[in-house]
Amino acid sequence: MITRKWIERIEGEASVQFTFEHNKVSFATIAFPHFRGMEAILHARPAMDALVITPRVCGICGHSHLFAAVRAIESVYANSGFPLEISPKAEALRELTLSLELIQNHFKWLYLVIYPELSHLVQCPIADSFRLKGAYAASLATKVLAIFAGQWPHSSYMIPGGVTCDPTYVDTVRAMGLLDELIRWFEKELTGISLEEYLHLSSTKALSRLSGDMGDLDKMLRAANMHKQGFSYDRYCVLGEHGFSKPSKNINKRTTKVNAKQVTLENPYTVDEKTYAKNALYQNNPFETGPLARAIINGIPLIKHLHRSFRDSTYSRIMARSYEIALLLNHCKILLQSIRLDEPSFIEPHKKITSLSGEGVGIVEAPRGPLMHKVTLNKGIIDHYALITPTQWNLASGSPQTPGPAQKAMIGADSIEIATFTFRAFDVCSVCTTH
Amino acid sequence: MSDRVEAVKKLFTSKSSRIETNKGDTYYQELFVKCEARLNELRANTPANRLDFSDLLEENGIDRREFMKWASATTAMLMLPPMFTPLVADAAVMMNRAPVIWLELQDCAGNSEALLRADGPKIDEIVLDIISLEYHETLQAASGHQAEKQLEEAMEHFKGKYLLFVEGAIPMGMSGQYGTIGASGETFHDHLVRCAANAAAVVAVGSCATFGGVPAASPNPTGAVGVMDVIKNKPLINIPACPANPANMVGVILHYLLTGQVPELDSLLRPKFAFGYRIHDNCERRAHFDAGEYVEEWGDAGAQNNFCLYKMGCKGPMTFNNCSIVRYNEAVNWPIGVGRGCIGCSEPDFWDKYAYERPMADAKIKAPTGGVEKTVDEFGLGMLTAAGIGIAIHAAASAVAGKREKSGESHE
Repeated sequence: MITRKWIERIEGEASVQFTFEHNKVSFATIAFPHFRGMEAILHARPAMDALVITPRVCGICGHSHLFAAVRAIESVYANSGFPLEISPKAEALRELTLSLELIQNHFKWLYLVIYPELSHLVQCPIADSFRLKGAYAASLATKVLAIFAGQWPHSSYMIPGGVTCDPTYVDTVRAMGLLDELIRWFEKELTGISLEEYLHLSSTKALSRLSGDMGDLDKMLRAANMHKQGFSYDRYCVLGEHGFSKPSKNINKRTTKVNAKQVTLENPYTVDEKTYAKNALYQNNPFETGPLARAIINGIPLIKHLHRSFRDSTYSRIMARSYEIALLLNHCKILLQSIRLDEPSFIEPHKKITSLSGEGVGIVEAPRGPLMHKVTLNKGIIDHYALITPTQWNLASGSPQTPGPAQKAMIGADSIEIATFTFRAFDVCSVCTTH
Repeated sequence: MSDRVEAVKKLFTSKSSRIETNKGDTYYQELFVKCEARLNELRANTPANRLDFSDLLEENGIDRREFMKWASATTAMLMLPPMFTPLVADAAVMMNRAPVIWLELQDCAGNSEALLRADGPKIDEIVLDIISLEYHETLQAASGHQAEKQLEEAMEHFKGKYLLFVEGAIPMGMSGQYGTIGASGETFHDHLVRCAANAAAVVAVGSCATFGGVPAASPNPTGAVGVMDVIKNKPLINIPACPANPANMVGVILHYLLTGQVPELDSLLRPKFAFGYRIHDNCERRAHFDAGEYVEEWGDAGAQNNFCLYKMGCKGPMTFNNCSIVRYNEAVNWPIGVGRGCIGCSEPDFWDKYAYERPMADAKIKAPTGGVEKTVDEFGLGMLTAAGIGIAIHAAASAVAGKREKSGESHE
């Protein structure tokens, strides 16, 4: 029996086609029916236009696109013998605003997708206003972001060589005040304990004892048996380098180096359905990316402990992403404190961009995993631009022999509802997937 | 030199660049009576959703005084005299009686993100929370067939009364196959036409829905167009910008709720209350422009001192929008506040003509064209072009003035 299901929410839509055997999902394919042609649009434009066009690939992770575009152009500089110098202040600001974008993504996903779906699954209805909590927290995060980036979504404040903003002491104090407000909100609503205590938890039992929304999340996920299903390859890949992530892969609990050159694209596998997405693979193999991958590779104690008991179940996946909010809040606080305002925001490149030719790759960790921008410039004009987004990894639609991570996780589910929830744990971002 | 000064003076005081903020007592008295009657009518209707405005205000710790402050600011934004403040406040409370259907077509969902309180002052957000969003493809709980049923029901139940908000462009290439709706496979074009048929008015939100936006950027791979190229027989309001400012979405809904009419529009169908000014007119860096003080290179002394970004390619002088007043993310900041110029994201073709860091001399900017000539008030078009020329004169004049001052100093 074949059933097709449309999955919508937040960032566009996807179609999942399920095949059932003996009342269990035996296979599923994923299709993304919308297309804009962003790579074609970027062709033949001045390189700096990428800083305006690429953030508009996505309304929820556009800042990651901006950062990747800037890193890609900077990599062209480096590859042609003119490496750019970036001041620690500019580095810190970039990473701060990126982290804030991750935080707001995680909040929206948690409160607008996970809680409503999960409460439906365990038949424990939540109030309409509950969903708005995520929006409130996300708006606090984007306010801090906007102090340095001007606006969210769709800022273009990063440029090759640094950032355009020149914050004053007043700005950083204001940012710290808002960040503290967000941390206090997080402690009050999500954990019931202080951020520091939460970051020192190391056992799953402690998670169950939490009083806030995180405690409820733990209970509901267990009630829905999410710690016993949703298993994928247990194979992870991180490609972006930041204070909160290091490029590595993890196979069979062993973490080893990665080389972004090994990333390839393959055509998707669907049956009688059009899709504009391409699958992203590492050494021709599917890998899971995103918060769980980052936590496993970083060796975060709580997530490692959780993984030992529940492997890469849906429970682990959701808990890892929720926990990353705390890690990033702490990271933002440290970054804000580290900023030395007397440093330059921008250091001029030794070569004009209009005379720059060559290839470059920019990689950042976006909310859902690694985001790659590959660019070829000819005298400052874009000859070729390629985007590989996180959801092309996780939501790849592979053949029955090599299903993508989300496909694999859905196989064996008892019902469409459970399979759909498993899918949502990876988080759909269809506008990025097809771009 | 004096010719230039005269030219600038003439340009900035010409009748065409004026916005009529005072239409006379009789007009406002009549409007007031009409609005009152309309609000009474609305009051009799049952609210379409469960969220209560007063409760939400209380939950968020906003007292009556603060709310009335917001109401008077919003009244001013809508270019209405202060006597309308209590009516605006009443209209805000009854936001849950304005049925809104929200379609998401070819886009990045950035405007939905904005709707999700990504920005906008706090009370605006609460107003957005309680608008009776009868159908929103990305935010609602239902999906697939269930969602389609909900849409059908909402359109039938609020026939002729709902506001249709559209986010995203309409891909016309390949018979519309670059974007189709869920299970039915209906193209975005057909979907839009069907949903607009019984709408009271259509509101295009964001630059994709208004002018085609980034998807329509050269070479326009999917043949993307804006709503006004598709919908011709309906009142249409454009709220461009990338993303559109939630304050302006609220303004349009409030205005409709209050008066039952679309607000006064400019030549590109943009509400004048939001798009009647240029970024440049109210820019916090305007004084530096007048003094001929420009950022010449990223990170230079000018950049550190918040000088004018015109020479770095700022399109503020060519761009009509209220960002310099409303700002973004709960009025925390805006692009020029962090030292990057305006990219003109609320103007047609910004993606091809305005772009980034291309000073205006190199930006091939001309007056907006493309599918709107027929509806265009010629005056508006002429004004935009004239403003561009005027600015160039002005920039040259102020640059000269700036130099003169400097040389004066060196003599001393």
